[in-house]
Amino acid sequence: MKDLIRIKSLLSTEVEELLNQQVKKEAMSSSIYLAMASWCNRNGFDYSSEYFFKQAEEERQHQLKFYKYILDMGGNAISPDVTGIKQEYNSFREVFEDALDQEISVTQSIKKIYARCLSEQDYITNEFLNWFLKEQREEEYKARRALELFEVIGEEGTGHWEIDRHVGKIKYESDAS
Amino acid sequence: MVTTLTSPSTPTWENVFSTASGAVYQCDAENCWYIDFAGKVAGFNYRCLQKLKKAIYHIDIEAKLLDTSKDPDVEIIFICACDHTYILTLLQVIALKELLQGTFVMLELNSILHDKLYRTAC
Ligand SMILES: [Fe+2]
Ligand SMILES: [Fe+2]
Repeated sequence: MKDLIRIKSLLSTEVEELLNQQVKKEAMSSSIYLAMASWCNRNGFDYSSEYFFKQAEEERQHQLKFYKYILDMGGNAISPDVTGIKQEYNSFREVFEDALDQEISVTQSIKKIYARCLSEQDYITNEFLNWFLKEQREEEYKARRALELFEVIGEEGTGHWEIDRHVGKIKYESDAS
Repeated sequence: MVTTLTSPSTPTWENVFSTASGAVYQCDAENCWYIDFAGKVAGFNYRCLQKLKKAIYHIDIEAKLLDTSKDPDVEIIFICACDHTYILTLLQVIALKELLQGTFVMLELNSILHDKLYRTAC
Protein backbone atom coordinates (compact mmCIF):
# COMPACT_ATOMS: atom_id res chain seq x y z
CA MET A 1 0.00 0.00 0.00
CA LYS A 2 1.42 3.37 -1.01
CA ASP A 3 2.17 5.95 1.67
CA LEU A 4 -0.23 8.43 0.06
CA ILE A 5 -0.29 10.97 2.86
CA ARG A 6 3.47 11.36 2.99
CA ILE A 7 3.59 11.56 -0.80
CA LYS A 8 1.22 14.53 -0.72
CA SER A 9 2.65 16.51 2.16
CA LEU A 10 5.67 16.79 4.38
CA LEU A 11 3.60 18.24 7.21
CA SER A 12 1.51 16.26 9.65
CA THR A 13 -2.06 17.46 10.08
CA GLU A 14 -1.22 18.71 13.56
CA VAL A 15 1.82 20.72 12.49
CA GLU A 16 -0.09 22.11 9.53
CA GLU A 17 -2.85 23.28 11.85
CA LEU A 18 -0.36 24.90 14.24
CA LEU A 19 1.35 26.66 11.34
CA ASN A 20 -1.99 27.97 10.13
CA GLN A 21 -2.72 29.26 13.62
CA GLN A 22 0.63 31.04 13.48
CA VAL A 23 -0.31 32.60 10.14
CA LYS A 24 -3.30 34.08 11.91
CA LYS A 25 -1.21 35.20 14.86
CA GLU A 26 1.21 37.06 12.61
CA ALA A 27 -1.70 38.66 10.75
CA MET A 28 -3.15 39.76 14.10
CA SER A 29 0.23 41.20 15.11
CA SER A 30 0.39 43.15 11.88
CA SER A 31 -3.09 44.61 12.44
CA ILE A 32 -2.35 45.41 16.08
CA TYR A 33 0.80 47.32 15.10
CA LEU A 34 -1.14 49.16 12.43
CA ALA A 35 -3.68 50.27 15.05
CA MET A 36 -0.81 51.36 17.28
CA ALA A 37 0.71 53.35 14.41
CA SER A 38 -2.61 55.13 13.97
CA TRP A 39 -3.00 55.90 17.66
CA CYS A 40 0.54 57.26 17.95
CA ASN A 41 0.13 59.37 14.84
CA ARG A 42 -3.15 60.84 16.12
CA ASN A 43 -1.55 61.71 19.43
CA GLY A 44 1.51 63.41 17.99
CA PHE A 45 4.05 60.61 18.46
CA ASP A 46 5.35 60.56 14.93
CA TYR A 47 8.52 58.53 15.50
CA SER A 48 6.62 55.83 17.35
CA SER A 49 3.99 55.82 14.64
CA GLU A 50 6.71 55.24 12.04
CA TYR A 51 8.20 52.49 14.23
CA PHE A 52 4.85 50.69 14.41
CA PHE A 53 4.26 51.05 10.67
CA LYS A 54 7.56 49.26 10.14
CA GLN A 55 6.63 46.58 12.66
CA ALA A 56 3.27 46.05 10.95
CA GLU A 57 5.09 45.52 7.64
CA GLU A 58 7.47 43.02 9.23
CA GLU A 59 4.63 41.03 10.73
CA ARG A 60 3.01 40.86 7.33
CA GLN A 61 6.26 39.39 5.98
CA HIS A 62 6.27 36.85 8.82
CA GLN A 63 2.71 35.89 7.95
CA LEU A 64 3.66 35.32 4.31
CA LYS A 65 6.72 33.30 5.27
CA PHE A 66 4.57 30.83 7.22
CA TYR A 67 1.92 30.88 4.51
CA LYS A 68 4.32 30.03 1.72
CA TYR A 69 6.10 27.40 3.76
CA ILE A 70 2.81 25.54 4.32
CA LEU A 71 2.09 25.63 0.59
CA ASP A 72 5.64 24.68 -0.40
CA MET A 73 5.45 21.60 1.80
CA GLY A 74 2.18 20.45 0.25
CA GLY A 75 -0.16 21.78 2.92
CA ASN A 76 -3.23 23.95 2.78
CA ALA A 77 -2.55 27.56 3.77
CA ILE A 78 -5.63 29.29 5.14
CA SER A 79 -6.11 33.03 4.78
CA PRO A 80 -7.09 34.15 8.29
CA ASP A 81 -9.97 36.22 9.61
CA VAL A 82 -8.61 39.09 11.64
CA THR A 83 -11.15 40.77 13.89
CA GLY A 84 -11.42 42.51 17.23
CA ILE A 85 -8.32 44.67 16.94
CA LYS A 86 -7.99 47.16 19.81
CA GLN A 87 -8.03 50.68 18.37
CA GLU A 88 -7.83 52.91 21.44
CA TYR A 89 -5.21 53.11 24.16
CA ASN A 90 -5.42 54.82 27.54
CA SER A 91 -1.86 56.04 27.46
CA PHE A 92 1.34 56.23 25.43
CA ARG A 93 2.90 53.69 27.78
CA GLU A 94 0.02 51.23 27.40
CA VAL A 95 0.77 50.99 23.68
CA PHE A 96 4.25 49.68 24.41
CA GLU A 97 3.08 47.41 27.19
CA ASP A 98 0.66 45.78 24.76
CA ALA A 99 3.37 45.56 22.10
CA LEU A 100 5.63 43.57 24.45
CA ASP A 101 2.73 41.32 25.50
CA GLN A 102 2.03 40.57 21.88
CA GLU A 103 5.65 39.65 21.15
CA ILE A 104 5.84 37.41 24.20
CA SER A 105 2.74 35.55 23.12
CA VAL A 106 4.19 35.10 19.63
CA THR A 107 7.41 33.70 21.13
CA GLN A 108 5.38 31.28 23.21
CA SER A 109 3.37 30.02 20.29
CA ILE A 110 6.47 29.51 18.14
CA LYS A 111 8.01 27.54 21.00
CA LYS A 112 4.88 25.40 21.09
CA ILE A 113 5.17 24.59 17.37
CA TYR A 114 8.87 23.88 17.80
CA ALA A 115 8.17 21.41 20.61
CA ARG A 116 5.52 19.65 18.56
CA CYS A 117 7.88 19.34 15.59
CA LEU A 118 10.62 17.91 17.77
CA SER A 119 8.24 15.34 19.21
CA GLU A 120 7.39 14.07 15.75
CA GLN A 121 10.93 14.49 14.42
CA ASP A 122 9.88 17.08 11.86
CA TYR A 123 13.36 18.58 11.75
CA ILE A 124 12.61 20.28 8.46
CA THR A 125 10.02 22.51 10.09
CA ASN A 126 12.27 22.99 13.12
CA GLU A 127 14.96 24.30 10.81
CA PHE A 128 12.42 26.62 9.19
CA LEU A 129 11.37 27.87 12.64
CA ASN A 130 14.94 28.68 13.64
CA TRP A 131 14.71 31.92 11.71
CA PHE A 132 11.67 32.92 13.78
CA LEU A 133 13.31 32.02 17.08
CA LYS A 134 16.11 34.42 16.27
CA GLU A 135 13.66 37.03 15.07
CA GLN A 136 11.76 36.82 18.37
CA ARG A 137 14.94 37.61 20.24
CA GLU A 138 15.14 40.90 18.37
CA GLU A 139 11.40 41.56 18.63
CA GLU A 140 11.30 41.08 22.38
CA TYR A 141 14.48 43.09 22.83
CA LYS A 142 13.06 46.07 20.94
CA ALA A 143 9.69 45.96 22.71
CA ARG A 144 11.39 45.68 26.10
CA ARG A 145 13.81 48.50 25.28
CA ALA A 146 10.94 50.79 24.30
CA LEU A 147 9.26 50.19 27.66
CA GLU A 148 12.56 50.77 29.41
CA LEU A 149 12.68 54.26 27.93
CA PHE A 150 9.68 55.17 30.08
CA GLU A 151 11.79 54.33 33.13
CA VAL A 152 15.08 55.93 32.16
CA ILE A 153 13.66 59.08 30.59
CA GLY A 154 10.60 59.45 32.80
CA GLU A 155 7.16 60.59 31.75
CA GLU A 156 7.19 64.04 33.34
CA GLY A 157 7.61 67.33 31.45
CA THR A 158 8.87 66.72 27.95
CA GLY A 159 9.39 63.01 28.74
CA HIS A 160 6.92 61.69 26.21
CA TRP A 161 8.43 63.83 23.49
CA GLU A 162 11.89 62.54 24.38
CA ILE A 163 10.72 58.91 24.56
CA ASP A 164 9.08 59.21 21.15
CA ARG A 165 12.29 60.46 19.57
CA HIS A 166 14.27 57.59 21.05
CA VAL A 167 11.77 54.92 19.98
CA GLY A 168 12.67 55.81 16.41
CA LYS A 169 16.30 54.90 17.10
CA ILE A 170 15.81 51.51 18.76
CA LYS A 171 17.98 48.86 17.13
CA TYR A 172 19.13 45.41 18.13
CA GLU A 173 22.86 45.48 17.52
CA SER A 174 24.22 43.33 20.29
CA ASP A 175 27.35 41.17 20.00
CA ALA A 176 24.98 38.28 20.62
CA SER A 177 22.87 39.08 17.59
CA MET B 1 -4.57 -7.95 8.43
CA VAL B 2 -5.03 -6.69 4.91
CA THR B 3 -7.98 -7.95 2.93
CA THR B 4 -7.93 -7.25 -0.74
CA LEU B 5 -11.06 -6.79 -2.78
CA THR B 6 -10.67 -7.31 -6.46
CA SER B 7 -13.15 -7.36 -9.21
CA PRO B 8 -12.44 -7.21 -12.94
CA SER B 9 -13.73 -3.68 -13.39
CA THR B 10 -12.20 -1.97 -10.36
CA PRO B 11 -8.57 -1.45 -9.48
CA THR B 12 -7.28 -3.07 -6.30
CA TRP B 13 -8.60 -1.70 -3.06
CA GLU B 14 -6.82 -2.41 0.15
CA ASN B 15 -8.69 -2.39 3.39
CA VAL B 16 -7.19 0.25 5.66
CA PHE B 17 -9.53 -0.08 8.62
CA SER B 18 -12.96 -1.47 9.37
CA THR B 19 -15.44 -1.29 12.18
CA ALA B 20 -18.87 -2.83 12.59
CA SER B 21 -20.37 0.24 10.94
CA GLY B 22 -18.06 0.81 8.00
CA ALA B 23 -14.75 0.43 6.24
CA VAL B 24 -12.08 2.49 4.51
CA TYR B 25 -10.15 1.25 1.49
CA GLN B 26 -7.15 2.70 -0.26
CA CYS B 27 -6.80 2.58 -4.01
CA ASP B 28 -3.14 2.96 -5.03
CA ALA B 29 -3.96 3.17 -8.72
CA GLU B 30 -6.22 6.18 -8.24
CA ASN B 31 -4.35 7.68 -5.27
CA CYS B 32 -7.50 7.90 -3.21
CA TRP B 33 -9.58 6.30 -0.50
CA TYR B 34 -13.05 4.83 -0.55
CA ILE B 35 -15.21 5.13 2.51
CA ASP B 36 -17.98 2.59 2.89
CA PHE B 37 -20.25 4.19 5.44
CA ALA B 38 -23.91 5.07 6.00
CA GLY B 39 -25.07 2.97 3.06
CA LYS B 40 -22.77 4.34 0.37
CA VAL B 41 -19.25 4.04 -0.90
CA ALA B 42 -17.67 7.42 -1.52
CA GLY B 43 -14.26 8.27 -3.00
CA PHE B 44 -11.99 10.86 -1.35
CA ASN B 45 -8.72 12.24 -2.58
CA TYR B 46 -6.07 13.47 -0.14
CA ARG B 47 -7.49 16.99 0.21
CA CYS B 48 -11.06 15.82 0.71
CA LEU B 49 -10.08 13.18 3.24
CA GLN B 50 -8.24 15.85 5.24
CA LYS B 51 -11.31 18.09 5.08
CA LEU B 52 -13.59 15.26 6.18
CA LYS B 53 -11.28 14.47 9.09
CA LYS B 54 -11.28 18.10 10.14
CA ALA B 55 -15.07 18.39 9.85
CA ILE B 56 -15.72 15.26 11.90
CA TYR B 57 -13.04 15.86 14.52
CA HIS B 58 -14.32 19.38 15.15
CA ILE B 59 -17.84 18.31 16.04
CA ASP B 60 -18.27 18.76 19.79
CA ILE B 61 -19.99 15.44 20.49
CA GLU B 62 -20.21 16.00 24.23
CA ALA B 63 -21.93 19.34 23.80
CA LYS B 64 -24.39 17.79 21.35
CA LEU B 65 -25.18 14.98 23.79
CA LEU B 66 -25.93 17.49 26.52
CA ASP B 67 -27.97 19.67 24.21
CA THR B 68 -31.56 19.56 25.48
CA SER B 69 -33.12 21.71 22.78
CA LYS B 70 -35.65 20.12 20.49
CA ASP B 71 -33.57 20.45 17.32
CA PRO B 72 -33.10 17.11 15.62
CA ASP B 73 -29.66 15.69 16.43
CA VAL B 74 -28.62 15.51 12.81
CA GLU B 75 -25.28 16.69 11.46
CA ILE B 76 -24.84 17.73 7.86
CA ILE B 77 -21.27 17.15 6.79
CA PHE B 78 -20.71 19.16 3.65
CA ILE B 79 -17.22 19.27 2.28
CA CYS B 80 -16.31 22.02 -0.08
CA ALA B 81 -15.06 20.91 -3.53
CA CYS B 82 -15.92 17.33 -2.68
CA ASP B 83 -18.77 15.41 -4.25
CA HIS B 84 -20.12 13.85 -1.10
CA THR B 85 -22.31 15.08 1.68
CA TYR B 86 -23.19 13.11 4.77
CA ILE B 87 -26.32 13.59 6.78
CA LEU B 88 -25.66 11.77 10.01
CA THR B 89 -27.26 11.20 13.36
CA LEU B 90 -25.10 11.75 16.40
CA LEU B 91 -24.50 8.02 16.77
CA GLN B 92 -23.33 7.86 13.17
CA VAL B 93 -21.00 10.80 13.79
CA ILE B 94 -19.45 8.88 16.66
CA ALA B 95 -19.14 5.78 14.47
CA LEU B 96 -17.57 7.73 11.60
CA LYS B 97 -15.15 9.40 13.94
CA GLU B 98 -14.10 6.01 15.28
CA LEU B 99 -13.66 4.76 11.72
CA LEU B 100 -11.55 7.77 10.74
CA GLN B 101 -9.43 7.64 13.87
CA GLY B 102 -8.62 4.00 13.18
CA THR B 103 -7.93 4.83 9.56
CA PHE B 104 -5.45 7.56 10.38
CA VAL B 105 -3.68 5.36 12.88
CA MET B 106 -3.33 2.68 10.21
CA LEU B 107 -2.14 5.22 7.62
CA GLU B 108 0.42 6.46 10.10
CA LEU B 109 1.51 2.89 10.75
CA ASN B 110 1.83 2.40 7.00
CA SER B 111 4.02 5.48 6.87
CA ILE B 112 6.24 4.12 9.63
CA LEU B 113 6.51 0.80 7.80
CA HIS B 114 7.55 2.62 4.63
CA ASP B 115 10.17 4.53 6.60
CA LYS B 116 11.56 1.42 8.25
CA LEU B 117 11.33 -1.02 5.38
CA TYR B 118 12.09 1.02 2.30
CA ARG B 119 13.25 4.55 2.98
CA THR B 120 15.95 3.92 5.53
CA ALA B 121 16.73 0.32 4.78
CA CYS B 122 20.28 -0.28 3.66
FE1 LIG C 1 6.21 38.13 13.92
FE1 LIG D 1 6.96 40.68 16.02
